[in-house]
Amino acid sequence: MSVWGALAGGFVGTLVLTTTLRAANEAGLTRVDLPFLLGTAVTLDRARAKALGYVLHLAAGEGFALVYYAIFAAIGTDGWLLGALMGLLHGIVSTTALVNVLLPVVHPHMGSTLSSADRSPLLEPPGFLMRNYGHGTPAVTLLAHVAYGAIVGGFAGMAG
Amino acid sequence: MRPPASGRGAARDGYVPIADYAAIGDGRTVALVARDGSVDWLCLPDLDSPSVFAALLDADRGGRFELCPDVAADVQRRYVPDTNVLETTFTSALGIARVTDAMTLSGSGLGPTRELVRRIEGVAGCVPMRWRVAPAFGYGHIRPRIEYRGPVPVAVGGAGALAVCSWDAGRPEVDGSAISGRFEMRGGDSACIALCAAYQEPLVFPRRDDVERRLDAAAAYWREWAAQRTYDGPWRDAVIRSALTLKLLFHAPSGAIAAAATASLPEEIGGERNWDYRLCWIRDSAFTLEALMRLGCPSEAEAFFWWLLHASQLSRPKLRVLYRLDGGERAPERVLALNGYRGSRPVRVGNDAAGQTQLDIYGCLLQTAAIYTEAGGRLDREAGRRLAGVADLVARIWREPDSGIWEVRSAPRHFTHSKMMCWVALDRAIRLAAAGHLESKHVALWRGEADAIAHFVEAHCWSARLGSYTRDAGGEGLDASLLLGILLGYRGPDPRRMDATLEAVRRELGHGALLYRYSGDDGLGGTEGAFLCCSFWLVDALATMGRHDEATELMAELIDRANDVGLYAEEIDPHSGELLGNVPQGLVHLALINAAVSITASGDR
Repeated sequence: MSVWGALAGGFVGTLVLTTTLRAANEAGLTRVDLPFLLGTAVTLDRARAKALGYVLHLAAGEGFALVYYAIFAAIGTDGWLLGALMGLLHGIVSTTALVNVLLPVVHPHMGSTLSSADRSPLLEPPGFLMRNYGHGTPAVTLLAHVAYGAIVGGFAGMAG
Repeated sequence: MRPPASGRGAARDGYVPIADYAAIGDGRTVALVARDGSVDWLCLPDLDSPSVFAALLDADRGGRFELCPDVAADVQRRYVPDTNVLETTFTSALGIARVTDAMTLSGSGLGPTRELVRRIEGVAGCVPMRWRVAPAFGYGHIRPRIEYRGPVPVAVGGAGALAVCSWDAGRPEVDGSAISGRFEMRGGDSACIALCAAYQEPLVFPRRDDVERRLDAAAAYWREWAAQRTYDGPWRDAVIRSALTLKLLFHAPSGAIAAAATASLPEEIGGERNWDYRLCWIRDSAFTLEALMRLGCPSEAEAFFWWLLHASQLSRPKLRVLYRLDGGERAPERVLALNGYRGSRPVRVGNDAAGQTQLDIYGCLLQTAAIYTEAGGRLDREAGRRLAGVADLVARIWREPDSGIWEVRSAPRHFTHSKMMCWVALDRAIRLAAAGHLESKHVALWRGEADAIAHFVEAHCWSARLGSYTRDAGGEGLDASLLLGILLGYRGPDPRRMDATLEAVRRELGHGALLYRYSGDDGLGGTEGAFLCCSFWLVDALATMGRHDEATELMAELIDRANDVGLYAEEIDPHSGELLGNVPQGLVHLALINAAVSITASGDR
């Protein structure tokens, strides 16, 4: 088990996750765009937001990879299957709490259940399981996170 | 009006006239308050959620929040100037009491998720007052469980809960599934009742000073918002009231705008034309953006435009006729087991028009994009690509029949307005490409198809007998939506045809300043009133054609048709003057704003 393996897995896993979501977006399965959601938290320029969002998303992917590594180290085991399970949990937490509840609260330009007439959002809130972005969103997002987890788990194990 | 000691004043079978309602809201939901002080409509947590109060759709089972004198009283009401705070004054033989109603805005600090505040003040004498909160969750299908949290009565139903917090308003008593109280309001005294709602989270119990501070803050916010609007013409009061009403229909979390605050208020008393308007129609988008720009509402315009592009992303390049306020596409229609307003059944929620084919909406979307960019807005490359895809789609499908702007439930036809809007779609795409917002590789195709559409309209949608464009190809009916050809600049080879069409529409569909929508069948039984948005379109068309005095005269008549607080429902019975249909209706208020601005502009020319 190696932290460098986890970080490498985080990098590849984030690329796969981002690409999966983007492909699903193009296929009309979902309207979710995580880099865009992150990028608009720091800039209102739409093109720049997307570019910055990819950087932020990659950084977040590495951060989560370190959390995965800490859990692998704590329980003394790793591997792609465990990583995939953690990815599933990660996806569920992301779509129900992180992106649905936390992001609208901290994002300066996103509507939330707290928004009232004195605010005009630039981004619609994702809703539970991010279903506001299309009914295919939960399945696609969970699948992408499972793939991310499997890759992080696999890389962490291989490096050991 | 004199509310009796019990029951409802001028109500007929428990229902007050639709014109008796005023709207208050917070950007997430809207409550309708009747002249007699009863809140008869409130959906929680959002405008398109199931109702907690729906007495306007079922006087027995719908639920309501009554607050009125316990003696006969005259009623006068108004909005506190330039706000969405309602003030109702009850004058009885024993004294005068005033009720101030508002929904508070979230602001800072820990407040309830939604909060309806009713402040009662004694103006003179001593007025006995009574109140009764009878919630009925889930469109009246979930009977509330009344419990106490300390001294505060709480009604619980499903995932929602309401705390009834009262101060100096008598001791709350629980009677079956309602909470009620009685008190006396002496001159100089005040009382307060706050309805605090929670959905999927714990209730927040506010202090009285916090509640009243939020009420005052809401009034201050609305005044400040109204002061920032840029219209300063002769119809200022009506325009500002319309702007404030539209602001109530904006869904603050997403930027979408609901077509109206209610569902299933009838277009004919006792009839079946009862629809849910708590959804966002693409049809209204161009009018919405135009009005927002003309009023100086850039942040609302930005939010709405990008919501529109986000919401329509999944089905691209096709559009749905309407979207839910959260951006979702599915709004399945279902019938509720409620009696309906004065027996007007069925009571429908959801709207199956979502699945119809309407070709005019593509013109609306591209016109919206044109307005946005002409006002300095920027389209990113992806948005430009999608809009170009919409224009390509129009070039392919404009020859198909559709259900038209009015969503008729008869078989699809070749509606003239739909064809004109397809022409508008391609014309705006060409303009957007010329300005560099869209790729120009398909411009030749768009231009060729636009010419083909104009040729079709001129060849098949003109009646020499009527001297007018017709409702549909080969037909002899008329349709007020043809006026939009003037407003959106449809150009056939002979501009006199549009002038003649305006006269024919006035002649065949007009009733004074009012216009019916169309002649001919629509697949539904019964009749309907005159359509108020069409009447304002007529004013707008006259002003656009430079007929300033005629437009001004009609405008004055239409302004007089609003209810006592300046609101419009969808329709009006020209004979009785009774408002019909969902209320307040956004399209009417949008049309009023655009007509007022056009008149002012035509007067300046």
